[in-house]
Amino acid sequence: MFRSRSWFGGAWGRPKNPHSLERLKYLHNILCKNTTVSESNRGTLVESLRCIAEILIWGDQNDSSVFDFFLEKNMLSYFLKIMRQKCGGSSYVCVQLLQTLNILFENIRNETSLYYLLSNNHVNSIIVHKFDFSDEEVMAYYISFLKTLSLKLNNHTIHFFYNEHTKDFPLYTEAIKFFNHSESMVRIAVRTLTLNVYRVQDASMLRFIRDRTAAPYFSNLVWFIGKHILELDACVRNDADHQSQQKLDDLVAEHLDHLHYINDILCLNIPDLNDVLTEHLLHKLLVPLYIYSLTSESTRRLQTSSPYNRDHIQSIEAIAKNLEAILKGKNSDHSPTRMTFPRQRMDIDDESKPSVSCVVALFLLSQVFLIITHGPIVHALAWIILQSDSSVFEDGATKILEMYISNAKSNVKLEFSKPQLSLEKALESSSGHERDYTTPEYGDPKRFGYDDKDTDQSSCDLDPELVSTSLPSTSHISESSSIANDSTEDLVTQIHSIKSDVTVKANMPDSPLPDSGIDSCSSKTTSEFNNITDEEKQKLLGVTSTVVLERAVPIEKILERENREIAKRPFLKTILDSLDCNENDYKALFALCLLFALINNKGVNTELLDTLLCPETEDQMLDSSKSSSSQTEVRSERNDQNTPTPSHSNQKMQSFNAFLIAKLMAIANLSCKPASKVRLVTLELSVTLVRIAMQGASGVAGARHITSAEALRSRAAALARNFYKCDDIFLDMFEDEYCEMSKRPLNVEWLCMDAAILLPPTRTPMSGIAFAKRLPSGEIERARRAIRTFFLIRDLYLKLTGKQETQLPLTNLAPFVQVGEVLDLNDSDLISCDIIQKDGTWQHRFLAVDNIQIILVEPDKQRLGWGVAKLVGSLQDLEIQGDKEDPRCLHLTIHKPRVGASGALPRTILLRAKFKFDDHIRSMAAKQRLTKGRTKSRQKKMQQIGRLLEVSGISAPAMAPRHNRPLFSRPGLTAIRRSTGTDGDETDRRLRRPSAHMLKDGIVVYRERTTSRERLVNELINLSVSRSSSAHGSRDGSPRSRSEEIPLEDIRRNVASTSATPVVAVTQSQPSTSMPLPKMAASSSEETSFISSESRPKRKGLIETI
Amino acid sequence: MAYAYLFKYIIIGDTGVGKSCLLLQFTDKRFQPVHDLTIGVEFGARMITIDGKQIKLQIWDTAGQEAFRSITRSYYRGAAGALLVYDITRRDTFNHLTTWLEDARQHSNSNMVIMLIGNKSDLESRREVKKEEGEAFAREHGLVFMETSAKTAANVEEAFINTAKEIYEKIQEGVFDINNEANGIKIGPQHSAAGGAGGAGGAGAGGAAGGGCC
Ligand SMILES: Nc1nc2c(ncn2[C@@H]2O[C@H](COP(=O)(O)OP(=O)(O)O)[C@@H](O)[C@H]2O)c(=O)[nH]1
Ligand SMILES: [Mg+2]
Repeated sequence: MFRSRSWFGGAWGRPKNPHSLERLKYLHNILCKNTTVSESNRGTLVESLRCIAEILIWGDQNDSSVFDFFLEKNMLSYFLKIMRQKCGGSSYVCVQLLQTLNILFENIRNETSLYYLLSNNHVNSIIVHKFDFSDEEVMAYYISFLKTLSLKLNNHTIHFFYNEHTKDFPLYTEAIKFFNHSESMVRIAVRTLTLNVYRVQDASMLRFIRDRTAAPYFSNLVWFIGKHILELDACVRNDADHQSQQKLDDLVAEHLDHLHYINDILCLNIPDLNDVLTEHLLHKLLVPLYIYSLTSESTRRLQTSSPYNRDHIQSIEAIAKNLEAILKGKNSDHSPTRMTFPRQRMDIDDESKPSVSCVVALFLLSQVFLIITHGPIVHALAWIILQSDSSVFEDGATKILEMYISNAKSNVKLEFSKPQLSLEKALESSSGHERDYTTPEYGDPKRFGYDDKDTDQSSCDLDPELVSTSLPSTSHISESSSIANDSTEDLVTQIHSIKSDVTVKANMPDSPLPDSGIDSCSSKTTSEFNNITDEEKQKLLGVTSTVVLERAVPIEKILERENREIAKRPFLKTILDSLDCNENDYKALFALCLLFALINNKGVNTELLDTLLCPETEDQMLDSSKSSSSQTEVRSERNDQNTPTPSHSNQKMQSFNAFLIAKLMAIANLSCKPASKVRLVTLELSVTLVRIAMQGASGVAGARHITSAEALRSRAAALARNFYKCDDIFLDMFEDEYCEMSKRPLNVEWLCMDAAILLPPTRTPMSGIAFAKRLPSGEIERARRAIRTFFLIRDLYLKLTGKQETQLPLTNLAPFVQVGEVLDLNDSDLISCDIIQKDGTWQHRFLAVDNIQIILVEPDKQRLGWGVAKLVGSLQDLEIQGDKEDPRCLHLTIHKPRVGASGALPRTILLRAKFKFDDHIRSMAAKQRLTKGRTKSRQKKMQQIGRLLEVSGISAPAMAPRHNRPLFSRPGLTAIRRSTGTDGDETDRRLRRPSAHMLKDGIVVYRERTTSRERLVNELINLSVSRSSSAHGSRDGSPRSRSEEIPLEDIRRNVASTSATPVVAVTQSQPSTSMPLPKMAASSSEETSFISSESRPKRKGLIETI
Repeated sequence: MAYAYLFKYIIIGDTGVGKSCLLLQFTDKRFQPVHDLTIGVEFGARMITIDGKQIKLQIWDTAGQEAFRSITRSYYRGAAGALLVYDITRRDTFNHLTTWLEDARQHSNSNMVIMLIGNKSDLESRREVKKEEGEAFAREHGLVFMETSAKTAANVEEAFINTAKEIYEKIQEGVFDINNEANGIKIGPQHSAAGGAGGAGGAGAGGAAGGGCC
């Protein structure tokens, strides 16, 4: 559409040079002659507009007279005239007009030129022009135009857009009307624009933004976020079958976008803006919708049952009410401290109040704590979650109210509700010139402290330490600090003053609301909580019972106390109750995410976190010994005031450390059960948290914790032991899992981006959900899960005890030779061979083998008997196969050694080729040696695993010597010693020894099943089987044949004497596995390619199809 | 204007590699620099034809918002195609590709088609990145590769249109969920009578409240 150039014939006598003042004059003439847009001149106009842009840009860089002329003739006014015409098809012209403006503003470099363009307010007129925004093309060009302008904003240009006198800022106010546009790119452009505006940091402009637009904009923003999460919640509720995964993904991503946007605003550190945003977020969204949803479910559930529950309802309701009163800051008629709120009314309330499911609330709150670090928000939220307690609320509410009212009055009601005015209406009414902006919903701008003279009075109440921790690097752009007056700050201050009784006494008026009902009521609930929770307590104690004994303060006491306290804190109770994984770990995962995010959020005051992280016993002992006097003092003080005595209001906040640890350990313990419903990701998060909680502030875990971690570790070892078998699968799996885990450590932020976890835990790999985030499907996955569980718990144990990991990853005791190293091979067993690659190229090499590696060497030309290592591979992963046609040949696939944790998947293949030996005897000898080497190096690792998993009898004397005696002795590889026949025989004999020992669950590890006669038969069969069936030969399925080793010397001898004896094919020396192998399993991608590249199914193939 | 599909593109890469110029060169060819003036722009749309179907391409330049994490994130998600551009005369812009790609892969939907572009191919004498290197990078990361010049317009059409073709193929294969506009693909008005292009709901943000578009 832009390329219709044909009309422009030059017939009108246009100047030759397209870049000249003359040309601009000529174009001006065209505009003059075509003031009315019609079908016939549309094309002319569009082309003229494009030319104008081009000339102006040229003039910007080359000839200032061009801009002078443009200005003198007031050419932008023609633009306006054109766009104001309601002529058919004008969108075609409008689009070009907007694009011309885009090009102009995008490409002009000269600051003066820019000022010229902006000087006569035409641009603002264009901005406020009502284009046909239903045309998506016009919309897109329009919003791009605004965005382009916003990128040009700075301290000078801002005055062209923001008029201080008329209080007019169309660029901003017009743009934010589209903040919720259906087109995502439009929404993004609006967000970009707002951020570009805020960061200009012009005090007057920001004041305008705050006074006239912040409340309407943020309240609408917050409302739409809320609506959005209700939609998300509905999606989760209605999709237990993972059907609308895609939609859920989008909704979750959108929520993250919102949070990141809010965080981007907050990170600009504009105090006034942040105050308004914080208030709206807390009052209109985070508290009423997210936090309130933590309790609503249990509230609903309670309709049916016990007296405990009824009280629980009431306390929750009371808290919610009190919280509302506190945050609302209104001394409403009904007392906010009344516990005995009528239930019926509450039920109605409950139905009308929007809420999301507990799972969604936990998930969303996790995201909030992972993304937002603005102190006042996260700290207030954390406080509400951790500390809000029925008695604190009764007690503290009035105080908070006092504080709140004396300083500021918030009109933002605590509820999730629709803004009374749409954003557009609100902005319209704000564009009037009256100073006061007082729709009931948006409040009095004065409240934010700009005009208050007495800000200092309250700012002295702020504990400087608290401010510094809760307000990360606040840079004020205005001189007057408004922080002290902000409602949220008051909350923060209040939080602090509750913690410290001294402050409370000094600053607070006496509570005016003594309530006789409260005392009895709260004590009643307390006792009932005690009764009810006995069961639960018992359960918890069962978990830790092995551990508790030798402490001065019995753990039972501590748990009992914490349990009693927790019952008063509905939000924290919900979170900790969610950690129960007995049925499944659906909720628990989110509760863990939230705890993790909360603990790691740098905006949350550490003192507050101590309630979770500081060991209970120390607190308690401190309390009882040192501060008994101060406690009595407090008590008497309170009695004077006739207010209830909340049990937590001693100097230290009540800790829930022991309770939390018990809950987390319960998850870890459950994980160690074979049929556990705990997913790996849940375990990993629990283990991470339990470590933090056990180490506390000191960073050192107490003896009790170490004992329980040790018990846990042996449980995990027992679980993994169930799967311990001497077959290739187990070893490979063990190493692969370790590698996989070290490669991908837990990232909670990424975890919380994954919408898939919002759906109930599933088992099937076909869901596409990563292994750690679902339950194991089938025996092999159960084995993998057990192995990982072991790794995670072992890691916990080591970290708690401060020990270094020395056994993992499974190390080879001897180092691998480096390629290029020169080795002394005098007196080594070397087998000469030709290596023939697929493409036909071949090389001559000598093959050397020690107990872990296969080395291909080339003779060193300088020194006789020495050789240069050309290729070094691991024996463990070597794949060996005979050749069907040529008995002199072997097919070998050599893998790169796994070294350290970098044994990366997919395992790198170094060489896959045909090895041709001098004769079939040598070929056989090589095969035998390689196979034996492979087996031995695997056995050694199995021993290592056996020791790790505490497999009984693994370090029994009969086994030990074999382990200690490698095939070749090696001071390095420089002298590979000839392996003697006796050596081999000895090893062989041991291998053959029946060493059947049964594990608990009846899986046989080693078992001698064949007599020597059978063996011979088997070997013969096997020989033929492996020859004939190598095309599909799963050797695992063939009758077991044991290693029948013939040292090289023996082979020669044997051949000489009984040449007719069929030499036995050497295969695995391990007995058959008892692990059922699936015939067909979804193979991992790397293995798929691996298999398909060479159609030779074999053990390896099966091993990897996990 | 009627179209069968609308594809949203984003264009990413270091500053100065020529993103804005490429965009304008594609959407408005007139700025062929017979003169020494290169002009760029940050948004543009153009109609193309693939397989006899009218397809509208909307290209959004993401430049200038790097400071804001929220913005970059959302841009990636809303696009069906991305042009990842480096400057063949500046090796550092090539070295940064990995970071750009990681970002794109992390935030975009997995089906997004990414085209790697080595721009300024007219400046052969100042070349610092060999064409083979670009090819190798593209091969390694599964991208389509092309060298272009916004100045001479060489390969600019092809770059944008080939990307569209690949998206179109993916639609034919059913890989893209075209009913989900979050993927950066929109079906034209003639496909669905109800969800026409005019669904924007006018200027009123409040008016869009029921749209569930948030
Ligand atoms: N020679 C040459 N210069 C170009 C080309 N594309 C862009 N440029 C120049 O490179 C600079 C940056 O271009 P621009 O489009 O603004 O880059 P952006 O920051 O990626 O948008 C400008 O000075 C252009 O004139 C090209 O293909 N060839
Ligand atoms: Mg640019």
